[in-house]
Amino acid sequence: MIALLWINLDYAASVVLFCIGLYCVVTKNNLIKKFIGLNIMETAVFAFIVALGVVEGGDAPIMGADANAPFTNPIPQALILTGIVVAVSTTALALSLIIRIYQHCGTIEADELREME
Amino acid sequence: MPASALLVGVIIIPLVGAVLTPVVGGRSGRAAGPWALAVMLVTSAIALMLIVHVANVGPFSAYLGGWEPPYGIELRFDEFSASTSVICLLGTLSILFSFKYAEKELPPERIRYYYTLLLLNLTGMIGFVVTGDIFNLFVFMEILSLSGYALVAVSGERTAEMAAFKYLIMGAVSSLMVLFAIGLLYALTGSLNMADISVRLAGAEKAPAMLAIAAFTVGFMVKAALFPLHIWLPDAHAIAPSPVSAILSGLVVKTGLLGMIRIYQIYYGAKVLDLSALNTVLVWLGAISIVMGAFFAIFQEDIKMMLAYSTISNVGYIIMGLGLASQYGVIGAAVHIFNHALIKATLFLGAGAIIYRTGYRNLTDLRGIGRSMPLTTAAISIGAISIVGMPPTAGFLCKWYIALGAVEAGQPLFAVALVFGALFIFVYYIRMVNTFYFQEPVHPEILEVEEAPLSMLFPVLILAALCLIMGILGRIPLSFVEPAVTRLLAPLGG
Repeated sequence: MIALLWINLDYAASVVLFCIGLYCVVTKNNLIKKFIGLNIMETAVFAFIVALGVVEGGDAPIMGADANAPFTNPIPQALILTGIVVAVSTTALALSLIIRIYQHCGTIEADELREME
Repeated sequence: MPASALLVGVIIIPLVGAVLTPVVGGRSGRAAGPWALAVMLVTSAIALMLIVHVANVGPFSAYLGGWEPPYGIELRFDEFSASTSVICLLGTLSILFSFKYAEKELPPERIRYYYTLLLLNLTGMIGFVVTGDIFNLFVFMEILSLSGYALVAVSGERTAEMAAFKYLIMGAVSSLMVLFAIGLLYALTGSLNMADISVRLAGAEKAPAMLAIAAFTVGFMVKAALFPLHIWLPDAHAIAPSPVSAILSGLVVKTGLLGMIRIYQIYYGAKVLDLSALNTVLVWLGAISIVMGAFFAIFQEDIKMMLAYSTISNVGYIIMGLGLASQYGVIGAAVHIFNHALIKATLFLGAGAIIYRTGYRNLTDLRGIGRSMPLTTAAISIGAISIVGMPPTAGFLCKWYIALGAVEAGQPLFAVALVFGALFIFVYYIRMVNTFYFQEPVHPEILEVEEAPLSMLFPVLILAALCLIMGILGRIPLSFVEPAVTRLLAPLGG
């Protein structure tokens, strides 16, 4: 069991990160903290997918005279670049919503907001 | 033009149109509406050609950049992709409806961005239903989700922003679930093309494949607002501007369901897991959703809140049909995706027209509105009859098929749950119709209100007419999805 965990340490780490993020999203009262939790979850998934493409001793997959196999798999990295763009847009939208909520209500604590409704 | 070029065009045209909208709309935003309408009309024409093509020759593909799968991105148009027709129809009508609505309800400097977001949202949905690549599916899902969150907040009111934030948090977590599942499938198969994954998954390890489908299901369940994960929906759908509610309720929640159909296509084809346990869970959650959605709707005073809860019930019907995994059940579910979009758009746009004219949204305040806005209320009543599922309307057919599916799958008890749910739904819609027509108005000025303007009335009446026509001509969509469902369920060894 421990040995299996050790081999897959990268996956285990992303699972732990994911859970930390989810915990923040669910339990934190401050909207910004909630959102930081979401960013931690995003990072966990990104790290998981990038780790998929790693090849031990692999080289950057760039063709040329001095290119020598094995190469790392570039596809997960390309996917995650797209994923990061999505995450940045989500963050931008969420932060601007939080700013507007603060301007309107003077607070970003979820429980105080709930009382105002 | 070859079909593959059209297939690319159906995504590119609204996307480019959306990007150009703020420029064309100018500072006043006056030209943005007509421009968006023109873009959607062109897109609808292309979608129509694609559907005729798929009816004649069956599913076909386009390869982006000429790279063939599994290396390139494949766009694939099959019978389930024909839901582009309803996306285009509702998109066009909602934009037409928005002309007057946006002028009154939105700050003028936001109008052009409102249409931009609307077009982006529609692009995302069209892309979502036609893509054959699983990562591409995620990208389109994010386009439609992000524009959806922003559309909820577009009016700039305090409650709207809070509803949008709630929607955003739940939506973003569910998107991450889906991305995680995509990563798992890629790790298992080394491919991102759906058809290719389906072939390669056959020999894969069981445990990660199971984890992947679980993550997919949870992710899409949040998007589809199935019962325990529905809490974001009522606020977001009720507070958004009415044309947006029509699109969110009619179409955006359906993308979660279509996503599930896509994943089922992969897993049924691969035969790697026995999905009957998952299907049992889905049928139960569907049944609970039907009853709980209807139960909450009964106690709502706000007309749009009531409609939002009724969406939860109807998603329950569709999930139940899918989970039954019998021929009739899945056909009924697939057609209900289409029909419920029509019905719910009729109701939300009708409610929007009433709110636009009167400024009231509570049922008590709206007593007697049937006398001053006869056409709009008639359309809403047709929608109400339709959603309850009375013959000969569009809603009857799908619910009948799903009930037949329950019997076919040997679980007639769920057909009982379905009828029970329909009774609940009947109760609150009859209450609504009763308020409109037969109760004395609380506010006398209600009787003075004019009928809705033509640009609002036209979409509502067209949709109401379609609710009736789709009931009478119901065989057409049913026979259309039948080959696709037969193909989907064939690996189950029917």
